Amino acid sequence: MSTPLEHELKQLIIETLELEDTTPEDIDPDAPLFGEGLGLDSIDALELGLALQKTYGIQLEAESEEARRHFASLRSLAALVEARRND
Amino acid sequence: MTPLPLTLQDWRAWWPGRARADEPRLSGEERPAGKAVPAMLRRRLNLPGRAVSDMLEALDPEASQVLVHASRHGDGERTLQMLEALTVGQPVSPARFGLSVHNAILGVHSIASGNRRSQQALAASGTELAALFGEARGYLADGESSVVVVFSDAPVPGRFRGADTPEVELAAVAMRLGTATGRTITAAPLPADAAPSRAPQPTDVIRWLLGEAPLRCPGRRLSWRLAP
Repeated sequence: MSTPLEHELKQLIIETLELEDTTPEDIDPDAPLFGEGLGLDSIDALELGLALQKTYGIQLEAESEEARRHFASLRSLAALVEARRND
Repeated sequence: MTPLPLTLQDWRAWWPGRARADEPRLSGEERPAGKAVPAMLRRRLNLPGRAVSDMLEALDPEASQVLVHASRHGDGERTLQMLEALTVGQPVSPARFGLSVHNAILGVHSIASGNRRSQQALAASGTELAALFGEARGYLADGESSVVVVFSDAPVPGRFRGADTPEVELAAVAMRLGTATGRTITAAPLPADAAPSRAPQPTDVIRWLLGEAPLRCPGRRLSWRLAP
């Protein structure tokens, strides 16, 4: 079961990255977002970083270990947004 | 030295809404499927890009041909969206930037098809077709047995278009060119008293391939004839 924030992030990912034919239900919160799993690539990582900045005011250092950890799965991304969002 | 002959071996075209029952090489799909490209790559292609990928798969199924792609205007929509973001101090979308470049379509096609041959993207201020034929001749003279050339364009966004910019029709056309088999293409100087004509667009090339209209390039003072 996804939390409301996880669902919101799934929508953000689908819309920002123009994932045709992908529904929120297709995104496993614990599966890797990049490479295996959802199959996102490095351009998606930059695009997603930008979307987090625009939507939640979260700035991440590109290429950092920290960003790598937060971007591991939808679950870890949700934990990041929960902890750092500006609201 | 006698110049190499130029022949048309095969072609494919996409012109939304203009399918013809007697011409399977012309697709009239409003939204090309882009089936040649996996979904995760396809999402980055605009409509001409999807059409071009499908046409290239048909004309180069082994992904072994040299490819040359011409577009006069490229992806005007993505470029403008980036400029608009910059004017209001917004960061530029990395995906949009990556796909706004002129060789984006061939780049995505190359990743999807595994074609590692020479791939070239060009714009030529309305003389794209002459440039394509010229580039193809160069590769053929270098020993290629055939070359696939593609010409695609999309309407220039209205908010960018100047009063004197001609209407651009959404279409794409791909031709496999060689020197031996196929229908011979011959170029001739445009007569001084020829009726004025616009810079050829992909739709003009399609009409020519269908035998419906002559093909002229006022910018180079050339016309082309296709042997029956």
